[in-house]
Amino acid sequence: MKSVMHRRAWRAGLLLALVALTLGACGGGQGSGQGNVDVLPTAPGLPTTNDATAPATAGQGQQPNTAISGSITFWHFWGSPVRRNAIRRVIALCAGNPQAQLPNLQVQEVFKPFGDIWTANIAAVAAGSGMPDVIVEDRPLLAQRAADGVDQSLQAFAQRDGVDGSAFWPFTWQQTLYNGETYGIPWETDARVLYWNKNAFTAAGLDPEKPPTTWDQIQEYADKLDQKNSDGSYARIGFFPLINTGADIWTYTNGGEWVSAEGQPVLNSQQNIETLAWVKQWVDRYGGWESIQKFRAQFAAPPQDPFMSGKVAMIVDIQGYSSQLNFYRPRVPTADGKTEELLWGVGAFPYKSKPANWSGGFALSIPKGAANPEAAWEFIKCATGQAAQTSWARDTYALPANQAAANDPTLIADPNWRVFIEALGNSTSGNYLASYPNWKEQLDQRIDRVWSGQLSPEQALNEAQQAVQAEAAP
Amino acid sequence: MIRPVTREALTGWLFALPWLIGFVLFTGGPMLFSLYASFTRYNILTAPEWIGLRNYSVLFNDPRFYVALQNTIWLVVVKIPIVVVVSIGIALLLNMQLPGEGLFRTVFYLPNVLAGVAAIFLWRWILAPEGLLNRGLGLFGIDGPAWFSDPDWTKPGLTVMGMWWIGSNILIYLASLKGIPAQLYEAAAIDGATGWARVWHITLPMLSPTIFFQIVTGIIGTFQIFTSAYIIAGDQVATGGPGQSLLFYVLYLYNRAFGKSGAGGFQMGYASAMAWVLFLIILAVTLFQLWLARRWVYYETEN
Repeated sequence: MKSVMHRRAWRAGLLLALVALTLGACGGGQGSGQGNVDVLPTAPGLPTTNDATAPATAGQGQQPNTAISGSITFWHFWGSPVRRNAIRRVIALCAGNPQAQLPNLQVQEVFKPFGDIWTANIAAVAAGSGMPDVIVEDRPLLAQRAADGVDQSLQAFAQRDGVDGSAFWPFTWQQTLYNGETYGIPWETDARVLYWNKNAFTAAGLDPEKPPTTWDQIQEYADKLDQKNSDGSYARIGFFPLINTGADIWTYTNGGEWVSAEGQPVLNSQQNIETLAWVKQWVDRYGGWESIQKFRAQFAAPPQDPFMSGKVAMIVDIQGYSSQLNFYRPRVPTADGKTEELLWGVGAFPYKSKPANWSGGFALSIPKGAANPEAAWEFIKCATGQAAQTSWARDTYALPANQAAANDPTLIADPNWRVFIEALGNSTSGNYLASYPNWKEQLDQRIDRVWSGQLSPEQALNEAQQAVQAEAAP
Repeated sequence: MIRPVTREALTGWLFALPWLIGFVLFTGGPMLFSLYASFTRYNILTAPEWIGLRNYSVLFNDPRFYVALQNTIWLVVVKIPIVVVVSIGIALLLNMQLPGEGLFRTVFYLPNVLAGVAAIFLWRWILAPEGLLNRGLGLFGIDGPAWFSDPDWTKPGLTVMGMWWIGSNILIYLASLKGIPAQLYEAAAIDGATGWARVWHITLPMLSPTIFFQIVTGIIGTFQIFTSAYIIAGDQVATGGPGQSLLFYVLYLYNRAFGKSGAGGFQMGYASAMAWVLFLIILAVTLFQLWLARRWVYYETEN
């Protein structure tokens, strides 16, 4: 018995340590799939607002609201210095000082690790105490949070104050709705763009200012950009679709979707099958899944990643990757054995049938049972307003959900920013399946077997479709 | 007037009371609740909703339940025998009363003192495609596998990694080796028994109760493997690692409970049903072993 008790204690210890470590490991605030980049852009001409001289623009044409007082807590997962300072500046614009929109309100910002924040919130809501007044929610999951009863409907507040979503990118607002009511106000979003290596383009005889825009073109370009070593292995590959972008995203550029407009799963549509077959063709082109895995094993975090090392000439990644490129200023090897600065461009997400994009992002919500929802709402309203959103975007280079902030003159002066904003215009976000929010796991389980050739795209998608249909919530 | 026997019983219960209260509140209570929860749909936010045997019927038709069971049984069947043989072997070597025994005893036990999670992260590097182990194998001209990314090699990788923690097993074997009376060996020596005959006819039978205990607790522990699989699966926890090869029973249970697998939301009811099915499986396996034990475990004091 004693040894069993010891074993238990030991396991409990392990579990605690595990939790602590997991929390520590995710402390960077990097969202899986959302890929927020916590690096300040440093390219010439890019605005940086590190200075305290940036004018406080809150309250433009608005009277400060002195009626809201007291204190609220605000949970976020932005632990990096850049983002932490940026959110503090947003708070300073909105609350707690005489120049702010809500001068008599104190906002306690609390950093919670990315891996822990939502579980902690759900546990607090279930227990009925300890939840924050405002929390950053993962927007694609907001409908599920609403269905589960984690967050409050903000519809009554929004209606009272005339917040109807017109200030935000339409898809970001759509994502906050559950049964026609909003459960969060959009905070930031992202978009996928093509990055290309201009040095490689020049060396291969391609116009370095003209990126491919379609699936067919990208293939033509890759034919010219592929470069082999004397032993037959690849020194550089032209393009590989699965670097930081999944096949599930690619299908939107083929007119495909996973959840239909009617809210039904349509995993095995013709477009999706085509998309997987197209990606598989790239896998085969570079020697099959095993070779790809080996090729990938040589890479690590930036600047040792596929694009910055010059080993892959074109990739698709979120807009935030550009700030990493600006930060690292990578150097790539030249033909004569020297190195030179990597010159790169940002272009639209190449498509097959029509330009498309997919965006995730976050929203600000109020958990059920929060102590001070009125003050929380006023803070959310200010933080998602133009002034606060512009400050956030200038500091972090994240795409603000607020359209006026996204079109801020200093930001839009950067040509890359214009590409991002155009990408947002084509973006969709509707892949929420009410009966099975986790539906993507059925795809993820099978996709490796498609790349390795064990399953055909059609088989995999048919199986996944059946599994999604079969799995009702027990 | 309380009779002395009753009084004695009362005192006994009184002394046992702190443990009883702890058991009822912190072990028995939650266990009973999980049994109830297993017949409900329960996401911790709303009250449990009674759905009868639905969780169990869905579970037995859940392909991933069988994948998880297969993965877990693979590990039980492969890892436990290796652990038993290797730890008895090392214990026998340590029992030969050679110089430095104390040092080696410490060395073998040392990994158990280290924080398990940190060590697992360390092993992830050791077993990386270009890691320490594969470089070592490379010296002998062996092209090592991609341990934790090739679905065929993740479980062998876990088994190799597990060998690092057999220190406590070795120590227990060593303790019972020291308890084997010297006169048995002396008598055998007089009868002309050689080294191996002595191990086979004296040491192993005398060790069998300990081996039995180690196998039983080892199997129970392996059925409950979670931490190492969770860490090694990394960002593929939700799908159970490469090709679902690390989808062990408790990892899948965790994924269900905390909304990483299945339709979505916390599925505490389903996870509770899984826990009870695992309990019954372990109970059945242990009862079978108890029955089997009569055929091979030797208790000296038996009568």
